[in-house]
Amino acid sequence: MNGANAVEVEEVRKRFGTINALDGITLAIPAGEVYGLLGPNGAGKTTLIRSLIGLVRPDSGTVRVLGHEMPDVAVLNRIGYMTQSAAVYPELSVEENVLFFARVNGDVGGVEKTLRTLQLWDRRKDVVATLSGGTRGRVSLACALVHSPALLLLDEPTVGIDPQLRVQFWEHFHKLADEGAAVIVTSHVMDEAERCDRLGLVARGRLLAEGTAAQLTKRARARNLEAAFLRLAAAESPE
Amino acid sequence: MSPGRALAVTRRLLAQFKRDRRTLAILFAVPLIVLGLLDLLIRGGGEAPHVGLVVLDRGALAQQVANALRTSPLVRVKTESADAARQDLDSGSVVGYVVLPENFTAEALTRRQVAPEVHLEGSQPSESTATLAAVQRAIGQVAATFAPRYTPAVTYLHGGPNLDTLDYFGAGYIGLAVFFLVFVVTAVSFLRERTQGTLERLMATPLRRAEIAVGYMLAFMVLATAQSIEILLYSLYVLHVHSAGNAGLVFLFEVLMALAAVNLGIFLSMFARTEFQAVQFIPLVVVPQLLLSGILVPVSGEPGWMQYLSNVLPLTYGVDGVRDVMVKGAGLESGKVVLDLTVVVAFCVLMILAAALTLRRRID
Repeated sequence: MNGANAVEVEEVRKRFGTINALDGITLAIPAGEVYGLLGPNGAGKTTLIRSLIGLVRPDSGTVRVLGHEMPDVAVLNRIGYMTQSAAVYPELSVEENVLFFARVNGDVGGVEKTLRTLQLWDRRKDVVATLSGGTRGRVSLACALVHSPALLLLDEPTVGIDPQLRVQFWEHFHKLADEGAAVIVTSHVMDEAERCDRLGLVARGRLLAEGTAAQLTKRARARNLEAAFLRLAAAESPE
Repeated sequence: MSPGRALAVTRRLLAQFKRDRRTLAILFAVPLIVLGLLDLLIRGGGEAPHVGLVVLDRGALAQQVANALRTSPLVRVKTESADAARQDLDSGSVVGYVVLPENFTAEALTRRQVAPEVHLEGSQPSESTATLAAVQRAIGQVAATFAPRYTPAVTYLHGGPNLDTLDYFGAGYIGLAVFFLVFVVTAVSFLRERTQGTLERLMATPLRRAEIAVGYMLAFMVLATAQSIEILLYSLYVLHVHSAGNAGLVFLFEVLMALAAVNLGIFLSMFARTEFQAVQFIPLVVVPQLLLSGILVPVSGEPGWMQYLSNVLPLTYGVDGVRDVMVKGAGLESGKVVLDLTVVVAFCVLMILAAALTLRRRID
């Protein structure tokens, strides 16, 4: 594989019953990039993310992550995964949650640094059940980051998070990319897309187009990304 | 108070239940099953206990009493020698035996007194009661005309009249309490891991599925072991439930049943999507075992086909083992206790495998 690519997906197909969740997707994401997977609900974003972790086995095609063909458990301690909902343990304190994920990944050195970076240090003794949605989101992110993963997968990380915190999240994603991690963010919110280094537009399990927000808008001769997306999706559709 | 709004709530709930087939099934099927089982257990179709009969008297009265016993619906009589009866009692093939001594007829005629010997195994109160009632009724039928004094000499191999209901049933309930509570707690907490999304997240870490299962098992075993110790100490030293056997062995049974319950909980939580559904497994898993494991009615007293059912329920063996140890004072030298232990261990292994395998199936 190309040594610089953190993720290489080739012609991946996956059907669930009659639905083509992934319909021949090919993409490559280098280390140090913040890549946005954009598309409507049900486009196949989550299935793609889950195939990167090895939770979905493709019907055909290959998925390589950090040089390993997936599914491969050996690479999982270098992946950070933040699921759609803030999946953390409500009965545990902030620190206990982060420490648990650090232990499971075999790297407990980064707990304090992660808590400080996400401004959770002062609240580390608080029980998660008592926290607001936004703070819980930060705890969830901390759990995905604590072992300094080389690939960070964030499935709609900013859903339900206030605009101020959203800005902080994006700053943080770029900082991680600058440190050499590949960051993949899924979203169906177009105005977030501008913050990504590169975008992939996904619909009906296919990759419609790739490029920066500006490139995609220009290519579709649209006024903004949202219009570009609709136009590209219509051009691709069989009807 | 607006009736319209209240009715809107009612209609919404009924509409929800209409879609929730599983809840409806439980609501309407389980009572029939439970009451039906109770009917079969209590009103019979069940088998009468086997009782040995030793007739040492050739007198007419003894022969008549023996015949009355042979036709009694309460017991199934096997006529045998005193030595054979003693052996049958020890091996458990009869629940007791009745001896009509040599002077039985003579005593009745001369002193107007009948004194059969009744030797009871004693660990199942319902069987002891049935045997005593059968003897009394047989004598009543035959000797009603001259109303003799009835002075049976009753001996017990285990237990006896100084044990009360809790002494007999406590042993069974100790096993049940551990099994039931551990099952519910495990099923619900494992399900929570799934519903709150953390299981998905764990699957993206190097954590292997077997490690998750073992981790759960150890955590719940810490709790279950503490619970087992608490229940045992409370039963023995606060409630003074009779125990003739080794408390360590009772504890071993408890811990094994807890281990099986933990894994049964993990296994069944795979088939529930909400905590509500997990709780619905209680009437399906726990109630039949409560009725059929020999806690309330001895397995040997159930109708034949039901005994087959009882014999595949793991709790039957757990309860039987605990009761043998506590009431009869049996230990590892008893083949029956070893069999009970073996079945409980085998069930544990089966449940661990089932839990690990269902966890693995979660890859799409």
